[in-house]
Amino acid sequence: MIPTAPPRLPFATLPGGNLDLAGGFQAVLQGWGLSPGLAHALWLPLPMVLVLVAAVVGVLASVWMERKVSAAVQQRIGPEYAGPLGILQPLADGLKLLVKEDVIPARADSLLFTLGPVLVLVPVILSWLIVPFGQNLLISNVGVGIFLWIALSSIQPIGLLMSGYSSNNKYALLGGLRAAAQSISYEVPLALAVLAVVMLSNSLSTVEIVQQQNSAGLLSWNIWRQPVGFLVFWICVIAECERAPFDLPEAEEELVAGYQTEYTGMKFALFYLGSYINLVLSGLLVAVLYLGGWGFPLPVEWLATVLHQPLSSPLVQVVTASVGIVTTVLKAFLLVFFAILLRWTTPRVRIDQLLDFGWKFLLPIALVNLLLTAALKLVFPTIFGG
Amino acid sequence: MFGFLKQVGDYSREAAAAARGITQGLAVTFDHMRRRPVTVQYPYEKLIPSERYRGRIHFEFDKCIACEVCVRVCPINLPVVDWVMNKETRKKQLKNYSIDFGVCIFCGNCVEYCPTNCLSMTEEYELAAFDRHSLNFDNVALGRLPTSVTMDPAVQPLRELAYLPKGAVDPHGVPDQERRAGQLPQEAAAANTAANTKEDSRP
Amino acid sequence: MSLALSTQLICFLLLSGALLLGALGVVLLPNVVYSAFLLGGVLLSMAGLYLLLNASFVAAAQVLVYVGAVNVLILFAIMLVNKRQPMRPMRVLLLRRLLSVAVCLGLLALLVQVALTTPWALPGPPSIGEAALTRIGEHFFTDYLLPFEVASVLLLMAMIGAIVLARRDVLARDVVTGEPADQALLERQRPPFLPSQGGSSPSAPSPR
Ligand code: SF4
Ligand code: SF4
Repeated sequence: MIPTAPPRLPFATLPGGNLDLAGGFQAVLQGWGLSPGLAHALWLPLPMVLVLVAAVVGVLASVWMERKVSAAVQQRIGPEYAGPLGILQPLADGLKLLVKEDVIPARADSLLFTLGPVLVLVPVILSWLIVPFGQNLLISNVGVGIFLWIALSSIQPIGLLMSGYSSNNKYALLGGLRAAAQSISYEVPLALAVLAVVMLSNSLSTVEIVQQQNSAGLLSWNIWRQPVGFLVFWICVIAECERAPFDLPEAEEELVAGYQTEYTGMKFALFYLGSYINLVLSGLLVAVLYLGGWGFPLPVEWLATVLHQPLSSPLVQVVTASVGIVTTVLKAFLLVFFAILLRWTTPRVRIDQLLDFGWKFLLPIALVNLLLTAALKLVFPTIFGG
Repeated sequence: MFGFLKQVGDYSREAAAAARGITQGLAVTFDHMRRRPVTVQYPYEKLIPSERYRGRIHFEFDKCIACEVCVRVCPINLPVVDWVMNKETRKKQLKNYSIDFGVCIFCGNCVEYCPTNCLSMTEEYELAAFDRHSLNFDNVALGRLPTSVTMDPAVQPLRELAYLPKGAVDPHGVPDQERRAGQLPQEAAAANTAANTKEDSRP
Repeated sequence: MSLALSTQLICFLLLSGALLLGALGVVLLPNVVYSAFLLGGVLLSMAGLYLLLNASFVAAAQVLVYVGAVNVLILFAIMLVNKRQPMRPMRVLLLRRLLSVAVCLGLLALLVQVALTTPWALPGPPSIGEAALTRIGEHFFTDYLLPFEVASVLLLMAMIGAIVLARRDVLARDVVTGEPADQALLERQRPPFLPSQGGSSPSAPSPR
């Protein structure tokens, strides 16, 4: 992302004088005799690297969880020998993919073939930009927030089409076309569901969306005000991630592996990584939009007053921040867990059922939900964020 | 107007039914998660094949009389019996015998019909090979006995479901001596003879 | 030069370079698929330029609408149409090319002239950043309401037209040829799988 002027500092200070990681880091560096500009330049890439690492660790965790939960559902054991409880299995997978031969088919278009997976992965990683783990714990509090994610995720179909086309394989092409059709048709109800949430919080920014839900802990989460929107959003997000029951771009029985058919080695790993980063990201976004983001089920302010701690003391600040991160991640992984469970519960839909479901069911419901939200907002402005 | 309302009602009823179905399915999969796995961790643990398991065929060279009955009863005439007529003894003399397990369907016909019982079926099922031609066993290979699962020190033998005590599902941790469910074959046979004799003794 | 300014300059140069090269590629490459993909690149770098101007909403909308929808649609059209036609050699190709070059150069000259003669206020008005979103909304629903609505009606018409063209079988006569349409293609209601079901659709067997 290009830091636009004036750059909002990542992890910036809160007006109330809360945790200031950026300031602290730069002060330390300046204490070593570096110029303020240099200290700032050194600080800038840090949060991004941190989030990248977080995304990759999230992928490893969700891959492991996928395997273990799938095994449990089928009364198997799952990975067991790579590390305790097989926790290193995803790493072993990654290593294997890393050292595998990278085959480019002879009649394929090698340039587009290489570019395709990159175009699929980059928007997903960029979308982590807007995921807040706490009041100030996000890379960039862009004003367009959640809209940026919707825009970025609409780039993905181009990468899918590109890899499908360039593989020079009919299954790959069909898979790419299906994937693109699927993500376009589910983008629309998704955006409408998000719009309803945005209407409640009067802002596109993810931070404000979360703040608006955290007045009364569990009770003020958006899921109570937007139950239909929650379901629509969740279904659409699963469809966007191409997970079962909507995994028909990769339907083995019909299309071998869809657009990934010709890919091996690291290029395949990029697709794999992309799909799991996307899954974790979707979990995080559902948590942010509907489950109160970093908010603990009991409001932290209330807990602090019960424990007679002043809100501004450093200890409370640190505890609040860590609780926020843990809560967000827990919520996200709860949703990932449900996605995995759903994968082993529902059979795959057909392509016509998929499009029917998207256009004839989700879209009208999302529209009705939007209209209802608008009406309720006019009638009960106090509850529905007037 | 009324028709439209009915359509909307039907539609929402179906949607609700579908949602209920999916919820029930989720409940089933969720319930399965708390059941214990019954995995047999193959190379380290193996199931004990049953007594009548039809595995790789064992052949005793010295018993064979080269009658070729096994070839005739085999659905694909598979066993290769290579013999010459010994003029002095005026008997067939077996030179080679082979069965290709890449082709055999393990139906057991040859074993059933061999007049001298020189064929038998073992419990060996690990027949993977790098080359399918190495599955063509000659009389030497056919004469080897497999390592029994219960004798192999590297393997933890586990009982199959039918050989477990009553009510047990998971073979792990079932004591060796515990009796399996149902009648043992000899008991069944004894019961059968008892019933027969009673029948015979009846006037 | 400060860090922010030099970053901005570098980004600007990179983006405009990508934009110009991509645009040339779209026009000049013989392979239409490459052109379509490059068009996506051009639109993306345009979004990047908007971002440099602090117009993040416009940038995101550009990506969503042009890259995510229009460009994907173009790609779809290219990939779904597999009519192999041999390219007929055109007559007087050179003359045509020269003519189009002349027209393009004329248009470019016009643009440059406009750019040079316009009294640009330097430095321009301060960017309003995130308040732009509200401003755009206000304009859409006040003074630009009519163009906005007209544009949506236009899109609706285009959509209906596309549906009519795609589903020729709904009409009794083919719109293009005027012959009776093949009604056999019409999608029919399938009988429900379970006769006991009261509903009309075969989905959702009742769990009883
Ligand atoms: S049936 Fe038995 S005895 Fe006869 S040839 Fe075959 S193996 Fe030998
Ligand atoms: S087991 Fe059946 S198929 Fe195999 S050799 Fe004997 S008769 Fe032939």
